Amino acid sequence: MKEKVLSEHFSIDNFFKLDVYLKHNGYQAVKKALTELNPEKILKEAKAANLRGRGGAGFPAGVKWGFVPQNGDKPKYMCVNADEGEPGTIKDRYIMTHNPHLLLEGIIISSYCVGINTAYIYIRGEYENIALRLETAIDEAFQKGFLGKDILGSGFDLDITIHRGAGAYICGEETALLESLEGKRGNPRLKPPFPASIGLFQCPTVINNVETLANIPSIILKGAEWFCALGLPNDGGTRIFGVSGMVKNPGIYELPVGTNLKDLIFKYAGGMKEGKKLKAVIPGGMSSPILKADEIDITMDSDTLMKADSMIGSGAVIVLDEDTSILDVLTIITKFYSHESCGQCTPCRIGNSWIKKIVTRISRGEGKDGDIDNIARLASNMVGKTLCPLGDAAAMPILSIVKKFRDELETSIK
Amino acid sequence: MMKIYIDDREVHVEKGMTVFKAAENAGIEIPHLCYHPAFPPEGTCRMCLVEIEGLPKLELACSTQVKDGMKVHTKSEKVVEARKGVLEFLLAEHPMDCPICDQAGDCKLQDYYEEYGLFENNFSESKERREKKIRLGKHLIHDNERCVLCRRCVRFLREVVGTGEMGVFERGIATEVNILDGMPIDNNYSGNLAQLCPVGAITDTDFRFQTRSWFLEKGEAICPLCSRGCNIFIEHHRGFSRFDLPKRVYRISARENAEINSYWICDIGRYGYYSLDENRAEKIIANNNISIKNYEAVLAFFTEKIKRLLYKKKTSRITLLLNTFLTNEELFLLKKIFQDDLGIKNIFFIDPPAGESDAILLTSDRTPNKKGAEELGFEITPFELGNLADETEVLIIFGNYIAEIFSLSDIQAYFDRIKDTFLFTPHRSELDSKVGIMFPTAMTPEKGGSLTNVDGKIQKFSPVLEAPGDGKAEWKILAELGTKLDVNFKYYKKFLSPEEIFRQMQKEIPFFEK
Amino acid sequence: MSLEFSDKTKKTIDKIIARYPQKEAALLPVLHVIQKEFGQISEEEEILAASLLGISQVKVREVVSFYTMFNRKAVGKYHIQVCSNLTCTLMGAANILNFIEEKLGIKPGETTSDKRFTLSTVECLGACEQAPSMMVNFDYHGHLDKEKINEILDNLE
Repeated sequence: MKEKVLSEHFSIDNFFKLDVYLKHNGYQAVKKALTELNPEKILKEAKAANLRGRGGAGFPAGVKWGFVPQNGDKPKYMCVNADEGEPGTIKDRYIMTHNPHLLLEGIIISSYCVGINTAYIYIRGEYENIALRLETAIDEAFQKGFLGKDILGSGFDLDITIHRGAGAYICGEETALLESLEGKRGNPRLKPPFPASIGLFQCPTVINNVETLANIPSIILKGAEWFCALGLPNDGGTRIFGVSGMVKNPGIYELPVGTNLKDLIFKYAGGMKEGKKLKAVIPGGMSSPILKADEIDITMDSDTLMKADSMIGSGAVIVLDEDTSILDVLTIITKFYSHESCGQCTPCRIGNSWIKKIVTRISRGEGKDGDIDNIARLASNMVGKTLCPLGDAAAMPILSIVKKFRDELETSIK
Repeated sequence: MMKIYIDDREVHVEKGMTVFKAAENAGIEIPHLCYHPAFPPEGTCRMCLVEIEGLPKLELACSTQVKDGMKVHTKSEKVVEARKGVLEFLLAEHPMDCPICDQAGDCKLQDYYEEYGLFENNFSESKERREKKIRLGKHLIHDNERCVLCRRCVRFLREVVGTGEMGVFERGIATEVNILDGMPIDNNYSGNLAQLCPVGAITDTDFRFQTRSWFLEKGEAICPLCSRGCNIFIEHHRGFSRFDLPKRVYRISARENAEINSYWICDIGRYGYYSLDENRAEKIIANNNISIKNYEAVLAFFTEKIKRLLYKKKTSRITLLLNTFLTNEELFLLKKIFQDDLGIKNIFFIDPPAGESDAILLTSDRTPNKKGAEELGFEITPFELGNLADETEVLIIFGNYIAEIFSLSDIQAYFDRIKDTFLFTPHRSELDSKVGIMFPTAMTPEKGGSLTNVDGKIQKFSPVLEAPGDGKAEWKILAELGTKLDVNFKYYKKFLSPEEIFRQMQKEIPFFEK
Repeated sequence: MSLEFSDKTKKTIDKIIARYPQKEAALLPVLHVIQKEFGQISEEEEILAASLLGISQVKVREVVSFYTMFNRKAVGKYHIQVCSNLTCTLMGAANILNFIEEKLGIKPGETTSDKRFTLSTVECLGACEQAPSMMVNFDYHGHLDKEKINEILDNLE
């Protein structure tokens, strides 16, 4: 049995309640951090753990915290990215549903580390029931003195507010999230300045994904070395992989970073449903370039997938079987990005819509010669030219599909 | 100071400057739609992408700050390809009907297409249908199909005017800028939106389909309709040889001046150009059996009237009604001749009544040179009909605002007591028949000179248009009068241009030295 | 103003606003509360939100029209949102949608004449392991098939 950092207690009844949580070593990490460690030590530990962001970009969390200027007179903010919108991604829902206090511990410790007294959890609007559960968990933590003024006599104050989104994938992008939190349209901001220096309400801001923060308590309790050893030297810990699509046992699997994708699908998720053949895998949420069946003997970590021209993203694995029409996949992808483009920058707004229009026409049976080339050309014209990563997030999977399944797409035209 | 290289040219730049600004200073134009120097960069149109050596991706010229030694390429193959790509996206959903678009000739998209595009149209899908001909406000029509979403209009209304009537609604390909139903833009700065729009999305109802922009000449001028002294372009049509146009001036636009009006003008100034072509006084009018018709004779007649009183040492019988539309040079000559040489004390001002001011540009004065008059030493005593001394024999009036302020019958009653009334005015009015002689004059853009704005800033200008008919600039008339009066012949003889008058002012009045 | 909140809602809104250093930041949560109370965010509700937060109606419209969860027209008592994204489609979301359409006699975007149901398709709900899935109001339902849909919809109040 592999060691689990996040999901170990998911199956315990009422684990989301504070009294149950406390019976399982709950809030020991907060206690240790606030009473035995100082912020410098925590930062050092977080950096040493090589905890890469679990939201999609894979940026080391400790390094991110280190960017926040420590000597300004402005307040600093923590924004927890619980917008979980990347198609295929389900992990944060599980963490928040089954282990909300673990997340709160992570928030408390990282806020203490960076010197933050106000945190917002930006949770996707659809997760209303989970937001209520988090709200209750926060109330409980307040009552027990884990939140609020002078936490555990440390002199450190922290308040956490739940902020619900309202249906916009782009708000998972960190600067769009900030805009949304400020009561505006979710239009990503120009960078620089980066949120670490000018973020929420023009103040220094740390933005971390739910899963990233939920790893912090264990790192504090068991140390960076232990955490690193769970995964890979420069990409520590475990990940909650969400496996969905045509497998026997879709669900979440917490496994070490660096677990083989083939094993994930065939060993852990039970292999293909109804004995079908594997056609392709989207390894890290919809934005990650597709892998063909013969490309999945690969370890699931940031660097390896990048080398394979894909990305680990949110660790959401979508499995496609032999019956899947690649044109259908392309149609859904282009429809999604066109729908979710915020619309502010030219290539993303018009590029995604244009590609969608072509793909939709092809799926109506009205494709013509040159369409596939045109799709590839337009997607290339988006890559690297948009204001935020959504342009690339849309173009990369499209380009990978065109490259790897060109023959099949061409047959939809003839 | 730092050094960077743009297209292999060495350019000196200051810290904090953007690549865009550095290139602009070096005379290198970088295409852009959303960027406007009045606002912080948005980086949304993606037209200004440039290549910076050492960086993996193309970067925005509008928002990237220079670094010492930076090597920027604005025309490399990679950059040109990227621009073409962005332009292709913009044009895909844009109507292809330039010939019927009012912006043609003034349109950034059109310019960039000529420069970077000229590619085949690969867009064979159905275009988004959007609302066209939206009435945004009194002066504005909005065509959402032509909009490139640069958001200049939205930002202007929020950041400059503070009224925020427009917003960005919906998202993705459906994104549009618009107003809310029943809440039109009716602020005094609305006209700037049409000028600010880089494409044909917001057009000016006043200008729309009146002419084509390529027929227009842009003359640099100063707006005379309040004391801010906003810098403007007077866009006028030279006309065609075979037929006459109904007017000369087709629009007024804002001309950048960082110290005075930034990039904007108000609607009072923008739409105040009709007076340049309408109801103009073109011919000398002589009443009371005075049988002279040409300029020379009128001036001789006028001079004679003054001279007579001068010899009789009765110049106190002359009353002068001035206004602060007059230039510094004209007011200076008036002061020299009438106050200094002739010793006249009955000098009053009669200007259009003050209006509302705002915190943006518009001042309460509705004339351009009140400050100038004050600095020249005039006491701005507003004129009342009762000010007319019983002994007044000669009344010299500049401008016809008296007719706007007092009733004609009251004016008539006073005029009846006066032997000779001279009116110098650019416009026809009911006064024309009440005075002895009406002499047509030039309007501000039809003469040269200088004006002193509300903050004491002196702005010189040259004529953009010619005065119609017999119209003449007052400074010319006054310089000749000065010569003819023979009090100080030599002094006035040298005033052959406003510059010479200005130089004299500088010698005599410290305020104008700077 | 014609719209009136209950005292309880007023208190909730005051509490929400107090959570942010800038009033405007409370716009999304306040709109959620307003939508819960009045069932929609139409013009009147926009004006209400604007006045509560001291911002212009234009700014409220910008936001309302950006986010998909704000219903600019009233929806039925039960808002059924069927995921139409990748995993759910692979797992048969189209059939699920067809079945609901036939069962209720409405197409996506429509509301039954008794105002009981509104049907929509949505992008990924984050419940891919239980695809095909849907939301009825804020309750998630996964592993859908005809039987399960009948059970869910028939057992609603």
